[in-house]
Amino acid sequence: MSKINEVKAMVEAGKARLVPGLVQEALAEGNAAKDILQGMVDSMRVVGDLFSAGELFVPEMLMAAKAMSKGVEVLKPLFEDQSTSSLGTCIIGTVEGDLHDIGKNLVSMMIGSAGFDMVDLGVDVTPAKFVEAVKDNENVKIVACSGLLTTTMTKMQETVQALKASGLTGFEVIVGGAPVSAEYAASIGADGFAPDAGSAAVKAVELAKN
Amino acid sequence: MLTKKQNLLETIKGGNPDRFVKQYEFMHFIMEAPGGRFPQPGETIKNDWGITFKWPEGQLGGFPVHDDEHKVLKDITEWKKYVKAPVIPTSDEAWAAAIAHANTVDRNEEFVTLFVAPGVFEMTHHLMSMEDALMALYEEPEAMHELIDYLTEHELAYAKALIDHIHPDCIFHHDDWGSQKSSFISPAMFEEFFLPAYKKIYAFYKANGVELIVHHSDSYAANLVPFMIEMGVDIWQGVMTTNNTPELVKQYGSQISFMGDIDSGVVDFPAWTPEIVAKEVERACRNCGKLYFIPCLTQGGNWSSFPGVYDSTNEAIEKMTKEMF
Ligand code: B12
Repeated sequence: MSKINEVKAMVEAGKARLVPGLVQEALAEGNAAKDILQGMVDSMRVVGDLFSAGELFVPEMLMAAKAMSKGVEVLKPLFEDQSTSSLGTCIIGTVEGDLHDIGKNLVSMMIGSAGFDMVDLGVDVTPAKFVEAVKDNENVKIVACSGLLTTTMTKMQETVQALKASGLTGFEVIVGGAPVSAEYAASIGADGFAPDAGSAAVKAVELAKN
Repeated sequence: MLTKKQNLLETIKGGNPDRFVKQYEFMHFIMEAPGGRFPQPGETIKNDWGITFKWPEGQLGGFPVHDDEHKVLKDITEWKKYVKAPVIPTSDEAWAAAIAHANTVDRNEEFVTLFVAPGVFEMTHHLMSMEDALMALYEEPEAMHELIDYLTEHELAYAKALIDHIHPDCIFHHDDWGSQKSSFISPAMFEEFFLPAYKKIYAFYKANGVELIVHHSDSYAANLVPFMIEMGVDIWQGVMTTNNTPELVKQYGSQISFMGDIDSGVVDFPAWTPEIVAKEVERACRNCGKLYFIPCLTQGGNWSSFPGVYDSTNEAIEKMTKEMF
């Protein structure tokens, strides 16, 4: 069995202590860094799918993401001069008035592991801050807004409107969070919606490639 | 007509209720009892455990602050250094208001109820942030077991004080165990870490005169119902529609009752209307039926975020009583 498969298995199992060593071994075996990275990205997708299906829970997602980031640390120096094939930048944040961030962080991890450069604005992010972040960052392909409170759903709408009215282009807006539905997302003019972190990554890739 | 208390008991024991229980009507909350401190709007406070809570003006509620400076528990392996349980007030003065209030309640009509929050799981993440708490279950299970035991011992001491002073009939116990679609942790992990704690806590109340344990978790938690039964929960309040409540009533009704099925998020928002409320209440009542089910907003308490929603829900329930009883 190739070492890459072992790396993948250990990312899926969330073994942060074992992954760096296995990544070293995979490199020693002659595997290209980008193939090892791709393997770990695939593992995160598996984890995301199991989470969507209700077979894995938040701790397992967090552990897998931590394992992957330990693996990425080993690979990072090898990517330093050649820019890896990024899918673009994704700006993410929880909308104004809302401080929940567990869901947003999981979504950020999954979209990041799908190949985007993440810019995380944190929580309680005003529409103006989202717009500014699109201006200040290069190659923004996705803006992702999270919201868990029914009381701040109007802020989500304001954010989408502000982004659309800003005159900036080249990016799509996706929204999500417990009270958000596909219908609501469409009604406020968002380009996409996903019910959980795994499908958020799939959606982001799909929109960025169009 | 049955009293509120009798009607509740008929409902959860599979007898002959003469109407739907209207949400929290059977619980008479004694909120004066000494307990955790929560901030008021616009306030930032540090509670007895050292946890900083912030309630920014204009927002719905308070939030524990977890930046490096404010996080109480910075390293789970050294929890003994960081976590110090507060002293439980013993003076007569501290309890006088609660006792006086409890004495005014007709215990044949209503249950004298104490509100206990946060729960053991919530305490772990208030102390150290949700991410740290969840990962520690994997990374430092022994330390987590110790911390949970420590929190449980404190809860038991607090429970003893509540019992000694108030003799509650009912405990409304908060501990959110999930998001709307899943439990935060797997059933196996729940069984290992939190079931033993709650078995101790709820058994202690039951052994000391508490007739009713109502556990609040407004979330998905259908996968944890067997554990709720095992730990002695009589009523799970906060059951969201995502759990398929009618199915739960069918499967577990004779062992535990379900209170909720009207998702707060769907009816309790700025643009709410009595029509939306009535539609949700009717769906809940018709699908879940008259026994082992109490129609209720999923939120934890006898109020709503937006004025009018709670009362409107009660009116809609009365209407369903007329139609179905
Ligand atoms: C944990 C929790 C908290 C924690 C948050 C810790 C943290 N760091 O985030 C604490 C205890 C601090 C907290 C505080 C509060 N909370 Co709270 N909280 C919850 C709870 C129990 C779970 C939320 C959660 O983390 N879920 C787990 C994650 C994994 O799921 P998720 O967030 O849904 O995210 C997934 C998807 O939605 C999706 N997704 C999320 N974001 C995005 C974004 C995009 C772009 C996409 C595509 C997808 C996507 O993918 C995620 C991963 O799969 C919910 C109850 C519930 N049933 O949801 C209440 C809940 C959201 N809270 C609520 C409230 C009211 C509050 C408070 C005001 C306090 C209070 N009075 O209870 C404060 C909020 C202050 C503020 N201004 O924000 C209410 C909201 C009610 C309403 N009217 O909307 C809820 C519904 C509980 C309730 N019914 O009372 N809360």
